[in-house]
Amino acid sequence: MPVITAAIDPITRIEGHLKIEVKVDTVNGVQQVVDAFAIGTLFRGFEKILENRDPRDATIITSRICGVCPTSHGMAAALALDNAFGVNGDTPERTAARLLRNLVHGACYLESAILHFYLLSLPDYIQGVPMAPWLPGWDVGRRFDRDTINRFTSHFVEAITHRRNAHEMGAIYGGKLPHTPGYIMGGFTAISSQDDKDRFSAYLESLITFIEAKYIPDAELLANLYSEYLSLGKGHGHLLAFGVFEADNRQAPELLLRRGRRLAGTSTVQPVDTSKIAEQVRYSWYADSDGNRPPLQADTNAQYPKGAAYSWLKAPRYDGVVYEVGPLARMTVNGDYANGVSVMDRHLARARETLKIALAMRGWLNDLTAGQSAYTDRPMPVSATSDGLTEAPRGALGHWLQVEDSKIAKYQVITPTCWNVSPKDDTGQRGPLEQALLGVPVVNVDKAIEVLRVVHSFDPCLDCATHVTRAEPGARVFARGELPRKP
Amino acid sequence: MSMTRRSFFRYCSLSAAVLGLDACKLSLLQKALANPNAPSVIWLIGSACTGCSVSFLNRISDKVGEPATVAEVVTEAINLVFHPTIMGSAGETSVASLKQVYSRGNYVLVLEGAVPTAFGGHPCVVFSYNGEEVTHQQAVQELTARAMQTVCVGTCACFGGIPAAGSNPTKAMSIRQLTGRSTINISGCPANPDWVVWAVVQLLLGNPVTLDEDGRPVALYSTGHGGAPEEPVIHNKCPRNPGNHGVPLAQNFGENGHCLENLGCRGPFTKSRCEASWNGIGGHLVHEPHPGHWCIGINAPCHGCVEKTFPGPQSFYQPYSPE
Repeated sequence: MPVITAAIDPITRIEGHLKIEVKVDTVNGVQQVVDAFAIGTLFRGFEKILENRDPRDATIITSRICGVCPTSHGMAAALALDNAFGVNGDTPERTAARLLRNLVHGACYLESAILHFYLLSLPDYIQGVPMAPWLPGWDVGRRFDRDTINRFTSHFVEAITHRRNAHEMGAIYGGKLPHTPGYIMGGFTAISSQDDKDRFSAYLESLITFIEAKYIPDAELLANLYSEYLSLGKGHGHLLAFGVFEADNRQAPELLLRRGRRLAGTSTVQPVDTSKIAEQVRYSWYADSDGNRPPLQADTNAQYPKGAAYSWLKAPRYDGVVYEVGPLARMTVNGDYANGVSVMDRHLARARETLKIALAMRGWLNDLTAGQSAYTDRPMPVSATSDGLTEAPRGALGHWLQVEDSKIAKYQVITPTCWNVSPKDDTGQRGPLEQALLGVPVVNVDKAIEVLRVVHSFDPCLDCATHVTRAEPGARVFARGELPRKP
Repeated sequence: MSMTRRSFFRYCSLSAAVLGLDACKLSLLQKALANPNAPSVIWLIGSACTGCSVSFLNRISDKVGEPATVAEVVTEAINLVFHPTIMGSAGETSVASLKQVYSRGNYVLVLEGAVPTAFGGHPCVVFSYNGEEVTHQQAVQELTARAMQTVCVGTCACFGGIPAAGSNPTKAMSIRQLTGRSTINISGCPANPDWVVWAVVQLLLGNPVTLDEDGRPVALYSTGHGGAPEEPVIHNKCPRNPGNHGVPLAQNFGENGHCLENLGCRGPFTKSRCEASWNGIGGHLVHEPHPGHWCIGINAPCHGCVEKTFPGPQSFYQPYSPE
């Protein structure tokens, strides 16, 4: 039987534009994915847009990379700016800035997780509301009884409210979400009142109740009913986290979710040295000379046609190793999750992490002093080089900044989806999502719901991932997913 | 599927007086909406961050007869046949839904994001059809041609926005620039959900919408929450305006309640109904349920995100004057 090639374009219920191409064959009597290609289909060139701007603009501009994790970009940019401007010291202003940044960032984590589980992922398992835009849907099977369907459907509707409430909570200090102007070099614009704290707390307690009583049990129920997905979508199994949510004002602070990496089959968490991160481009539409350099030395010159290249995304690797990033990586590295790596492990880790963050937010809110300014002024440097490492809800996020003549000379961003949805690298290793798709059984090749389940478990955000590309004038572009022909 | 639900009739009836609809026209509208061929809504995302869709999900209203939440908007007020972030199906099935509505031609088109035109539009491919990849540029040209009306949601679709800033590496442009066609522009980064819902509902009701020179509904950008005309310039209604007794100019951030004109605020050059409009019930003040917020309320400068000059080359943190 010939190998069937099937493309899903667009992949819906994600952020941004993604096409997945899979090759399907029957192996040992089971029709399954035998090869996979993840193809991002959007680029905007944010680094070019940032060049020559006031460095402080980075928080505002990079927030617009993504409408689902704007505060993660705001946070990464603010950390990079703090480093570049020399903002330091253990002061009340820095404490207030840290707490306000964490609280608004945390609000977006809760928003993103609830959005992801109920609105973006659940329709892969349960028929949604019987009307457009959920119908016509794909066949998701009939594994649930009526009570379970009613439970998930009513929680789906509640989730819409709680997701919105998470943003309303964040807007108490953020003013407007998505795209708050609150994150600035040196701190945060808002000054909390006691009334702000009380209103924030009311939203937070309601969200904690929802997460404890509905979200986590729902994720566990789904994992029980679809237990085969505890062994599907494993991928390479190497996990990386930059860490997030600073707990003190030191230069290398304690983090709620710590920095580290863990190789598959080991239990040791190893340190992260960002100088070992390099992006490879053999299967990406960029000149080979751009590849394998650290972020701030990397360049990006589009090249078409180019050998077997098939993606706009580069392939970031750590010391040549393919790492998966995201809540599962964070929770595993932090010692809070120890079940494994799979589709359902990603959902379970995300749900439990959401509660951990929500409970931590309670503490940060309590520590926040009403009336305290959250800003530390520092003069603009003429030149500086710095980085800002944090985590977006969907994984490790790094911003690299170079200032010259008090302007942005170079800005580089490596997003979580760059790691997770990367194409093959120079040595032919597939990206984490591509690898996770191998061996996944597919019943209906035209409507491969099983493929969607694996894709959605990573919570991909192509808005983030594909901004890094930078096309040169005159470069030729071929249709995504199509191997470039000889000129 | 009939798009008309009880609450939508309720909305129509209650807003009829405000909108100047007579009973006869309302009755025709009800018949039209009960028709399975009633206008559908296609929401397509181009070179964007999905932030306007996320903002749409933040919809909340307590106005009698209005769809209160995004769930009510989608299930009771509009027939949303295509929205890549929330729809059930993927791939060809999803595109088939869109094509079916396109062939009938009677739809409201909502466009989020700019249109990249470099490299033949290939920086943004929105879907594949019959094995061929379709760029956002192609899709916008085709879909706007047969749309009953096109609503641009967010500053990218309205004016180009951030993708078109700086050296504009993908030659991104607005829908109007690309197509030369008239659009209703709901600008903002992101667009406010109440403004988006208002515009779509006006179109479904067949009401004429008066636009300003930038294609934005006058009723939204220069009118208060109660419907009465309101001072449109942010600076003139800002509680931190130095014209208010005792408000000094801020020397730095972290000064509560001071005017931020010296720190980059674009409020004097921005016209918008933002006050108490974001992430809550529009117009609700603190101590009312779900109070609305705005950037001004957190001691932040206005970045002028609803204007065609956003983001512009100027610093966000130095005194601003449009070029």
